[in-house]
Amino acid sequence: MSFDGGVQPNPRGQQGNPAIDASSKQSTPMSNPVETHSVARRLQSELMALMTCGDPGVSAFPEGDNIFSWIGTIKGSAGTVYDGLSYKLSLRFPTEYPFKSPTVKFDTPCFHPNVDQYGNICLDILQDKWSSAYDVRTILLSIQSLLGEPNNDSPLNSYAAALWVNQEEYRKVMLKQYRDASGVNAR
Amino acid sequence: MEMVLDLDGDRPRDDEIMAQHYAIRAEEAGKISFLGNKEPLSTLAAEYELGNSIFKTKIEKLGEIYGAIRRTRGDGNCFFRAFMFSYLENLLETKNNLEAARVKDSVEKCKQTLLDLGHAEFTFEDFLASFTEQLDAVQDVTLSVDKLVDNCRDQAISDSVVMFFRFITSGEIRKRADFFEPFIFGTSGMAVQQFCRTSVEPMGEESDHVHITALSDALGVPIRIVYLDSSVGDGGKTVEVNFHDFIPSELSQEKVKPPVMLLYRPGHYDILYEK
Repeated sequence: MSFDGGVQPNPRGQQGNPAIDASSKQSTPMSNPVETHSVARRLQSELMALMTCGDPGVSAFPEGDNIFSWIGTIKGSAGTVYDGLSYKLSLRFPTEYPFKSPTVKFDTPCFHPNVDQYGNICLDILQDKWSSAYDVRTILLSIQSLLGEPNNDSPLNSYAAALWVNQEEYRKVMLKQYRDASGVNAR
Repeated sequence: MEMVLDLDGDRPRDDEIMAQHYAIRAEEAGKISFLGNKEPLSTLAAEYELGNSIFKTKIEKLGEIYGAIRRTRGDGNCFFRAFMFSYLENLLETKNNLEAARVKDSVEKCKQTLLDLGHAEFTFEDFLASFTEQLDAVQDVTLSVDKLVDNCRDQAISDSVVMFFRFITSGEIRKRADFFEPFIFGTSGMAVQQFCRTSVEPMGEESDHVHITALSDALGVPIRIVYLDSSVGDGGKTVEVNFHDFIPSELSQEKVKPPVMLLYRPGHYDILYEK
């Protein structure tokens, strides 16, 4: 399968292109196949945008030839305890995307107050505050900023939350887990 | 429903409680269509037959001006969905192609606002198209009121248009953050960005004055909100039905009758029709 949903993957300068205008009319989701098609087209646009204006520190790409399943990468921001570390995440898009959020999990084990041992992330925009205004790029940027600014009031990992006040000790424990995990989980 | 417990506690997590809350609301909301049929105002009176006398008096007064009501589903999107139907129905019935063209210009400006605020076009272009397709159909005379009712009941079209309105409402608020900031902070204690992120952009978040003002300004469409609540004026002596007209600034000098008239009961908006 190719990613080309029948539309030139051109996220920029689409305005006024009659071919694209016509296709966006047809793609008004009326039934399932059309809907899936328009979601694929949307994800295709996201991929092109990510590739052309990549933010430093976040990237993502479909896994294999399934446009509904992506692997993302986040680098820890400078000035945070995660500086210099890199995390892989999986993103699975439902056919209702972007009305429903993708399921996003850490693949690389992540020691963090809002991430559990299975990689599940507690972040409002991925749950009840999801909005269709988000895209892959803004999701990854939000998770990247969550790394440095945890919500310690409702932790999934209470040990990490308790340790957060002591950044030096936190980094030590976090680095040990990171190294152990990369050793065990080397792919 | 089976409760899933978290690993280090015996109480459901906040997000699980929220998920349940949303599930219950969705179930309740699912019992009525996105948009009901036009009903005589007497059906509203019937709802309060055994209730509070203030409501009964207000509904009587309402009946002097308004003749019918069309209900919307109480799923948190009712303001936007009521606006969608009411505005487009008014365009259809007045055959006001000039207004359709004018609002398309406003849509173009909203699009530019969103781009200026850093939104990638692909995040909103399909939603925008869902709305402009309705405007095209008004102009081409290919839309009937029945078809518009169907479109508003079709989740794909209806939710797309609602989401477009959420986008441009958020865009208008952020573009004029200095103007909106005191209202937002005053009622919610939130900063403008956070308010838009948590209370405007997600589907199902309810609308208040801030949303109505912003949407009305963004599209240049006056909106009347008629309030049906238990408030009484003049120390309890007079019972009047209050209303407020949201008039976009460019029209503020003119005497305008809003094409969109909505009935507000705490937490919910329905569509009102004048006699």
